[in-house]
Amino acid sequence: MRRALAGCLAALALLTACTDGGGRDGTDAVPTPGVPGSAEPGTLRVLASSELGDMGPVLDRVREETGVTVRLTPIGTLDAVDLLAEGGTDGKYDAVWLSSNDALRLRPEAAKRVVSETPVMTSPVAIGVRDEALAALGGRPGRVTWSQVERAVAEGRLTYGMTDPARSNSGFATLVSVASALSGAQSALTDADVARATPRLKRFFTGQKLTSGSSGWLAAAYERRGNVDALLNYESVLMGIPGLTVIRPTDGVVTADYPLSTLASTAAGTREDVRRVAEALRGPAVQKEITATTHRRPVLASVPPAPGLDTGRRRELPFPGSKSVADGLLDAYENELRRPSRTVYVLDTSGSMEGDRLRRLKSALTALTGDFRDREEVTLMPFGSEVKRVTTHVVDPADPRPGLDGIRREAGRLGAEGDTAVYTSLEKAYDRLGDRRDAFTSIVLMTDGENTTGADAADFDRFYASLTGHRREIPVFPVLFGDSDRAELTHIAELTGGRLFDAGEGSLDGAFEEIRGYQ
Amino acid sequence: MRRITGVILAVLLIGGVVAAVVAGRQTGDEGTATKTVRAVIGSEKAAFFADPDVVKALAAKGYTVRAETSGSWAMEELDLGGYDLAFPSSQAPADELAEKYGVREPLPRPFYSPLVVVAHGAAAEVLAANGIATLDRSRGGTLRMGAFLDAARADRTWQQLKGAGEHGELTGTLYIASTDPETSNSGALYLAAASYVANGNRVVASTADVERTAPLMRTLVQVQGAQKSSSDAAFRDFTSGVGDPLVLVYESQVSALLREGGDSVADMTVLYPDTTATSDHTVVPLTEPGRALGDLLTGDPELRRLAVRHGFRPQGATGEFTRATEAHTAFLNQQLTGVRQAPVPTYVVLRDMARRARG
Repeated sequence: MRRALAGCLAALALLTACTDGGGRDGTDAVPTPGVPGSAEPGTLRVLASSELGDMGPVLDRVREETGVTVRLTPIGTLDAVDLLAEGGTDGKYDAVWLSSNDALRLRPEAAKRVVSETPVMTSPVAIGVRDEALAALGGRPGRVTWSQVERAVAEGRLTYGMTDPARSNSGFATLVSVASALSGAQSALTDADVARATPRLKRFFTGQKLTSGSSGWLAAAYERRGNVDALLNYESVLMGIPGLTVIRPTDGVVTADYPLSTLASTAAGTREDVRRVAEALRGPAVQKEITATTHRRPVLASVPPAPGLDTGRRRELPFPGSKSVADGLLDAYENELRRPSRTVYVLDTSGSMEGDRLRRLKSALTALTGDFRDREEVTLMPFGSEVKRVTTHVVDPADPRPGLDGIRREAGRLGAEGDTAVYTSLEKAYDRLGDRRDAFTSIVLMTDGENTTGADAADFDRFYASLTGHRREIPVFPVLFGDSDRAELTHIAELTGGRLFDAGEGSLDGAFEEIRGYQ
Repeated sequence: MRRITGVILAVLLIGGVVAAVVAGRQTGDEGTATKTVRAVIGSEKAAFFADPDVVKALAAKGYTVRAETSGSWAMEELDLGGYDLAFPSSQAPADELAEKYGVREPLPRPFYSPLVVVAHGAAAEVLAANGIATLDRSRGGTLRMGAFLDAARADRTWQQLKGAGEHGELTGTLYIASTDPETSNSGALYLAAASYVANGNRVVASTADVERTAPLMRTLVQVQGAQKSSSDAAFRDFTSGVGDPLVLVYESQVSALLREGGDSVADMTVLYPDTTATSDHTVVPLTEPGRALGDLLTGDPELRRLAVRHGFRPQGATGEFTRATEAHTAFLNQQLTGVRQAPVPTYVVLRDMARRARG
């Protein structure tokens, strides 16, 4: 059971950091590993939760007040914790600003790199429900419990989307909330609580129809699909999506408090800048702007929360106090509780991949085998002038090794030859996935060049338009690599409701790893 | 044990020493040169030393203070060569430092602040209805530590308390949210007060005492799950409306908040544990100027007045604090009536207790 988590952490270690959360609509390309800028006086390089992208105007104001520019590099919480633990932030970042430091404190190697923390604002986990689906939850937003959500799911009356707890703090906070509530735990979660709640949690997660590595893409996918009833995320994120009734379950929530944290490796003068920024963020006028523009709750007692933020009290569910409980919960979610994934990797092995590119593809695939979940079905579809070979590998919980060995073996056999039949191969992938609804299905497309043979873009558009039922909901996640055509791949992502990942500058490993959050 | 503590502290230390909170800008109109004094201070006093009025008052007496912050419990591992004083927020680490550097007692203790529990109104009323608290003031009262610890020992939940049913947020195990006792002073002082009561109103001193009280201390800490690393974070969550019903903070934080006003104050109730521990902000002078500054902070009326503004109680007569908090007697127990100060165990014992409670 360790495997999934350890593998995920190992892969995360390869990410030097920069994973752009994308535009507000969540549809921009996601670049993989970038390098933060070099130190400049008056500029703070801050490793930050991706949803803090909405703080732009507030930070402009802080710059006017303090003369300090804050540059945010978006990152998932667990990636950030990992980076800190390995000292990867030393000399590269001046501060860390995550939705919460709870996960960080579970790792002493990471916690010791943080000197002091200043909570800036708060936002609890909540449920955003379409008006038409409100009846499934009893119709009284102020009275909804997690158990009611579970019941509505079991009765087939409610479906929802949430972010991947292994990648996103909102996902993990949601998971802790649900596990605490459904296990009936009276205090901080234990392994026994998680085990006891497993049947109910499984039932709860049958309702999850959308998964995502980021809140931004989750919202975009939700709007596109139109047939998902609800989203689980931070209140602040849900308040920004039109047409949702935002509910804080009465049996408890986990709240993010966004501590701006200084780092031990930072020079004293720079730490003083961080302190001044933190002080400015807690000024009355800035706190007012924060709550008005981002729907987060102020930490300054004299500033009331923005209109629309219900001030009724909710129990705060304790965050696990030990790493083993947190890891165990995550492990259970990935390998047992959530619906499994079915993924087809459509991999360009045309002649132009010869040499270093092919070597990078093989190593990226091999690295990924540490990250596949129990019950996952992985199909490899290498192509050149046509699809060369189709192999499907299932990670069997009882004995995961044969499935993973199979993937490694296939990766080793890849050889570069032929032209580039992007669209024909994609169509094959859709045929392969069929119309089954019991899993998160998606297609990853990696190509290092333009389409040169077989079906063209117009053919594929027609093919996609002819799809019916569940197959229309299968997104393609294209990876920009080598000389691939950005416009071509962007079109594929937009057409299918996927998202473009950019491995052009960084590593292919990083892009594949990033996509895991969406599978 | 000491070795382990050393490792923990070495770890803290990397993150411990710190941000130069520059407190001493020489005021232009002063004309005369001031003496620069270098200090290592607990972080909760950073705002005090950064206050322009404090800077001015110090300059008027001929001092410029350059203060760097550090966790009070991490100062022992610092090389304090070149510093004029250390100013931890608790007596135990101060005594430890005094011994290490051969500083003569008594040490100046310019101001102090007792630990209190902030609660939302409904939570305080439920505690009162169940004999765990008494509400002596309209927005405040006394937490009966014996009764509270009995409830904690029995894993009592809010649902089991009379009157909690009307308040949906009052569910789950009854506990006081405190900071991590291994890194944060207020969390350590919570264990000091609780262990004193659990040990039959005697300070925990021997290994046998530690072992006897350890299971309860562990319960108090473990039920909380992840704990905040600073009392500032815990208090900010509370003022933001995050749902922990009972949160342990310094009275100085409450007092400073009351001065600011604010909407959430209306629903806040301040409970003084009948046995509490006090944050004794203690100066450890390392040089003559350091001792002079300690005496100045203790005796200078203007600096005492400014300390009150930051919510601290100056040592000695209570008049200044009483007058300054006149408007907030509904919340504050000005005379600390019915509040007993538990002595704090030695540094080594307290570290041991914290480690066992968290581990």
